[in-house]
Amino acid sequence: MIRRRKSKACALAALCLCVPLAAGAQAGAAQTHPATTRTPAGISGTINWWGWTPTDSAEANAEIASFNKVYPNIKVNFKLITIANYVTAMRPALVSGEGPDLFELQPGAYVTEFNSFATNMAPVAAQALGSNWQSKIAPSGVSGFTYNGKLIALSVGSVYAGTLWINDDLFKKYNLSPPTTLAQWVSVCKTFKADGVGCFVQGNETEGFLQDTLQSITNSVQPGLWTAASRGQADWNSPGIVKALTIWKGLFSDGIMEPGSLGVQQYPDGNNEFLTGKYAMIMMGTWYTANVTKSGLTSALQAAGASSPKPFPILPVAFPNVAGHPSAMYGDADYGLAVYNKSKNTAAAETFAKWLATSSPGQQYVANQLEDLPSLKSVTPNYAAAGIVDPSLQLSAVKNLAASVGSVTEPRELLLSSAMQMGNGGILSAAQGVATGSETPQAAANALQKAAVASGVKFK
Amino acid sequence: MMFEVSKRWKRILLQVVVTIMVLPYLFPIIVMLQGSLAGEGFENYKAVAEVPGFARFFINSAIISVSVIALVYVCAMLASFGFAKLRLFGREVYFWMLLACLTLPEVVLLAPLFTTDQKLNLYNTYWAVILPLAALQIPFAVLLTRNFISGLPTELFEAVRVDGAGPVRTFRHLIVPLTRPIAAAVIIFTLIAAWNDYLMPLVFEQATNMQTITLVPQFFIGEFNDDQTKILASAVVTAIPEIVAYLGLQRLFERGLTAGAVK
Amino acid sequence: MAMVRQGLGDHSGEAPASPLSGRPRRRGVKVASGLPWILPALVLCVGLIYYCIGYTGLISTWNWDGISPNPQHVGFGNYTQLFHDPLFWGAVRHTVVFFAVTFTVQTFLGLTFAVLLHSRIRLAVVYKVIIFIPVVLAPAIMAPVFRAMLAPGGQFNEVLQHVELGSLAQPWIGQTSTALPALMAITIWQFTGFTFVLYYAAMSQIDQSVLEAARLDGAGNLKVITRFVWPSVAGTTFALATLSVIGALKTFDIPWLVTQAGPDYATNFFGTYIYQEIIQLDNVGYGAALSIVLLMIAVIFGVVLQLWRSRRALS
Repeated sequence: MIRRRKSKACALAALCLCVPLAAGAQAGAAQTHPATTRTPAGISGTINWWGWTPTDSAEANAEIASFNKVYPNIKVNFKLITIANYVTAMRPALVSGEGPDLFELQPGAYVTEFNSFATNMAPVAAQALGSNWQSKIAPSGVSGFTYNGKLIALSVGSVYAGTLWINDDLFKKYNLSPPTTLAQWVSVCKTFKADGVGCFVQGNETEGFLQDTLQSITNSVQPGLWTAASRGQADWNSPGIVKALTIWKGLFSDGIMEPGSLGVQQYPDGNNEFLTGKYAMIMMGTWYTANVTKSGLTSALQAAGASSPKPFPILPVAFPNVAGHPSAMYGDADYGLAVYNKSKNTAAAETFAKWLATSSPGQQYVANQLEDLPSLKSVTPNYAAAGIVDPSLQLSAVKNLAASVGSVTEPRELLLSSAMQMGNGGILSAAQGVATGSETPQAAANALQKAAVASGVKFK
Repeated sequence: MMFEVSKRWKRILLQVVVTIMVLPYLFPIIVMLQGSLAGEGFENYKAVAEVPGFARFFINSAIISVSVIALVYVCAMLASFGFAKLRLFGREVYFWMLLACLTLPEVVLLAPLFTTDQKLNLYNTYWAVILPLAALQIPFAVLLTRNFISGLPTELFEAVRVDGAGPVRTFRHLIVPLTRPIAAAVIIFTLIAAWNDYLMPLVFEQATNMQTITLVPQFFIGEFNDDQTKILASAVVTAIPEIVAYLGLQRLFERGLTAGAVK
Repeated sequence: MAMVRQGLGDHSGEAPASPLSGRPRRRGVKVASGLPWILPALVLCVGLIYYCIGYTGLISTWNWDGISPNPQHVGFGNYTQLFHDPLFWGAVRHTVVFFAVTFTVQTFLGLTFAVLLHSRIRLAVVYKVIIFIPVVLAPAIMAPVFRAMLAPGGQFNEVLQHVELGSLAQPWIGQTSTALPALMAITIWQFTGFTFVLYYAAMSQIDQSVLEAARLDGAGNLKVITRFVWPSVAGTTFALATLSVIGALKTFDIPWLVTQAGPDYATNFFGTYIYQEIIQLDNVGYGAALSIVLLMIAVIFGVVLQLWRSRRALS
């Protein structure tokens, strides 16, 4: 099988690395699924790919275009479904037998719900990377998508949380350094607010980010407790969680959390407030790295409504040590590609999944977006070509952040069911109840335990 | 003329009162317009128009909306005439059977409608969206139109019947012209419901070239970003045909009883 | 008085002998059957939607996640759970308050605008368009606008400060006490145009000569409106009441998109609760049971309204 392969030198790191991997992947693919006709020129067909990311259709088309350089006979149609509508649109489609060939999954609730529609991707990963494929991709990518022993999706990239990002210009203006303890946090906020500048913005109307804050607080109270409780190895109403909820309430009464934050959504409200300089701090994770580049921040600023956007340096800082221990980061796969078990063209779907999730060019493309940390360990983002706003200030911080995730062991979404997150008595209910004062931290913790038991978690 | 205002100062007062009353409605609209022009200004509108397939989405929305309106108008007019003026055993039972269709939230309808679509091979066609939308709008249209027809002066119907007109002629020559005001209202509200619906096209249309204009804002909602400015711009663009339709149909609201219809 | 259109000449139930029923006419023509006329509507709606209702009724007796091929049959278990569910009763409370306030205010405002704009007002078209625009704007898109407007630092509080009411400035959607009123205000903003259009159309049917006659008799503007205009649009008011009941029961977009049924379930409605159970928590059976209860409440209220109306018609 001889294929003409073009070797391009990378002008923009985004698209054009060499593809020695393709030959190996292709040779491997020929052995498995007999359903599709295989010609020497490669697998062919049209596949439908549904997902919530990438949004930017230019980005999706660019990904598909560079995929087509290697596999010109596979046509990929991307359909965008936002996360808000994802389950609504996917469930009927998958149940009906007419679903997309390739669909995206996130660890946790989506995996629990849709795993029965996904084929086993472990053999596909093995074809692509060899029998020791597990050692070549980030562990969060494997654990996040393993369900009942089956690898139901190939992780494309991971995200980690447990950090704060600060507006460095604002901190310098008021001669402040990022807080490392709760007391410092309170005092920093006092200083900002005295001058009418917002201190810390957070969208507490929805579950996602207040879960992160609670997890980070708990990690500082008692490292490992949150994960243990999520696994049923500790109770949700143990003193550590109650203390965490008390500290959470304290954030409101001590002037760190805004009283109106229960009516704010992180995206777009909170994000826009931070980017337009109205607040000095926001709790975001590694995905926020995309905003350290001039182009990324400029378009984000324009999206936030700034007509003459001036990019400013943002820096990641560790979550303050609010209760005695450094608060460890946590994270899991951001999204993965699953192949529909009723697809009529599984080979083509698997080829694309392999390309995006396990091949160097695909993963390099993902890495260079700076939103996800690539699944393939051997790939690192091309920071030089990214155009960082202030490299002398930000480059080392960003690189350290990316390096630090290697030691992360705790998941973020993986262990929590949707009932635990958003059901009656769940995390959203507990956090909001405590924040509004309608529940004491102990009562909220008891409700959490009850919800966990009701959702099927087995406690020892 | 509802308010008879002879004196000039009363007229001015009236104008001022209406203006003050309308301000709270105007305020969010202005905020929205400002938002749509923030950031890149008119480039936002350009970006909206440049969403791949935008023209196609617009056409799909138009096709679906026009079909729904036609279906709703015909079925609702026929039905409300039947309910309001003709002999019907179990009239209220039928009426409430129809109205019960309005009560289910849309999200509950998706799964069973999906199965229905598949069995009838309608998945990914226009009908998959047109039929449910019409079915959801007809009861509402019947409710309004029946009420309106009941309010038409019975003398007119008397006169026509004395002349020997059967129901069909009565319908054509009396009902259709006289119900123009309420028909205009029904058309407008059906247009809004059909044009703004986003769940059904999302779930029932698989191919991107079957999608409607309500899909456009999604192109600006990412996992880690949310371009409000362009979303607002797309809202403005989506709203314009509806407002134009309203302005066009508006004069129909103003027609009083036209005696000429009886002839 | 004979020429005033009461708008109540409907054949609901026990109306006395009216021209189009029963009594033989000169040529012995009986009133035609309405059945073939209502058939197209019935076939389309009942055919399409009743399958959905039946399906929903069936799965309301299951404990099901919407996907697994082996749902657990629990009979009326979901319904008993429902009646003990504080969130269900919370939704009922919120719906009642929501309906009472929004219906009253929307009707009043829609009627007032219709009356005012039927009078000699300059540039009436501009006002009509402004009131109407909120009706066409998708809630999904306006929600972030409203969140920003009602935020502690948002435009609404700014305006309050400008008019010396700054002490009232608060996080309107961030606290349980004001979240529901805020949503009701947004709903009223959105749907006044709807009631306005309907009242405007109904008023255009009023015979001007009757109003003239009344004025000649010395009736002032207010009397004209309360004694003549209001009764003649009664049919529209009842229709709007029916639609408002159903709308309040089904309301989803605004509470979900602006406050996500929060904070802390303060703005939980049937619509949001059903959505949450079916889509977010995969309790499809329970969500279906909630939908059936919603349907029954809607039909009961609608029939009650209808009976009340026909009683009034007779008196």
